[in-house]
Order: sequence, then structure tokens, then C-alpha cells
Amino acid sequence: MMALPFLLLFLALLLAWRGQRGPSLGLWGLALVVLLVLFKEHATSTIGIIL
Amino acid sequence: MTPAFARTLNALGLIALSVGLIIAFLDQFIKGDLPCPLCLLQRVGLTAVGVGLALNLIIGPRPAHYGIMIVSALVGGTVSLRQVALHVVPGTGTYGDAIFGMHFYTWAFVAFALVIVGAAAMLFFEGQFEKIWEMEHPWLDRLSQFAIGLFAVLALANTLSTVAECELGMCPENPTTYQLFQSGTGSG
Repeated sequence: MMALPFLLLFLALLLAWRGQRGPSLGLWGLALVVLLVLFKEHATSTIGIIL
Repeated sequence: MTPAFARTLNALGLIALSVGLIIAFLDQFIKGDLPCPLCLLQRVGLTAVGVGLALNLIIGPRPAHYGIMIVSALVGGTVSLRQVALHVVPGTGTYGDAIFGMHFYTWAFVAFALVIVGAAAMLFFEGQFEKIWEMEHPWLDRLSQFAIGLFAVLALANTLSTVAECELGMCPENPTTYQLFQSGTGSG
């Protein structure tokens, strides 16, 4: 699961290389969504600092 | 700013990102510091920034491509800031080794901040977005191809490295071994 955003971005680079801008942007957006979901899964503890 | 000069800056930016990812790999493979989940997500953020740079090199400079860089850096910077906050209070420990006085996650935050400032500054130079006739620049094509090729290899290497470290599931908070090889040998 943690490898998924890297794979999506690698595929986005390949599509960009082939000149397919739209699909490349789509995969980039999907990778960012996956990144945010994974971040939510890993950022669960409360940090002991005062903001 | 001409499109060719903008492409040159984008190519150099992509190579700089690659150098950052290579340094992280050297620390991982030579010093044996396995990246934590937040560390991996920061690498994802850097790779996402690179997609914007690569699109500028392949398709040509466009404001949306700089937008990709800024949004990616905001997300990546959020992850790195979370990790900085985890360790910013003295006595709360650190993760990994420091390099040139700061830890990787702090450097990552600096890098993401620089990307945001750099991409925003580039947006001020609207001449790069105009469709003007320019001379051919074979050296710039070669530089772009090298930058994109190197970066794509690093994106694939990170994919494979993360599969080796975490297999297809979630990564442990404090990884100590490559799970793929451990389960493959049946040990531990």
C-alpha cells in the first residue's frame, strides 16, 4: 500500500513522457489522494506541543 | 524569461530533486537507516513535485504545472512538519541520523518551502508561457531527457524499495528489516 503512490507517480511520469498530459495529471492527483489517506493512517497520536 | 531558459531551470530543479532522493537512498542502503512511514510519504511528496517539473520539460512550461509543484510541496511539507513537530521538543528523540546539522525530515521541510517559493517566483515570468519561435536547443533536449530519465528511475526504485521494506501492506512505525526478504526466507 505504501508503494502505491510511488507506482502511480512513476506511471504519471511515463504518461507525461508519451505526451499524455491529461492521464498523467489524473494519476498525479490520485497519488496525492493516496498520500493524504496514508498520512491520516500514520498521524494518529497527539503531539505534546502547545500551538 | 524565454521558454528555453525556463526549461533549463526546470531541468536543474528536477536534477536537484533527484540528488535529494539519491542522498536518502545512500543513507538507506549504506548506513542501513530504513525510512519510516512519514519519511516515505515525504519522498512521495518530492516525487509528486517532480511530475510538475517533468511536465514543464516535456509539454512546455504552463502555470498548471507550477500549481502541481506547489500543491505537492504543500502536502509533502505538511507531512515533514508533522515529523518535525514530533521531535522538536528536546528529549523527545529523533528518527535517523542528522546530515549537515539537521535531520532528513527538517531538510525535507526546507526543500518543500523552497519549491513553493521557487514555483511561485517562476509564475511571475509570463514570457515563458508564450508560444514564440525559438531556436532548437539539442543540449537542452539532452539535459531534459537525462533529468526525466534519472527521476523516473528513482521513482521506480522507490516503488521497489518500498515493496521490499513493507511488502504490499502498511509499513511498521519503526522499521528494522526488509519484510519482503524476511518472509521470503521464512526467518524471524
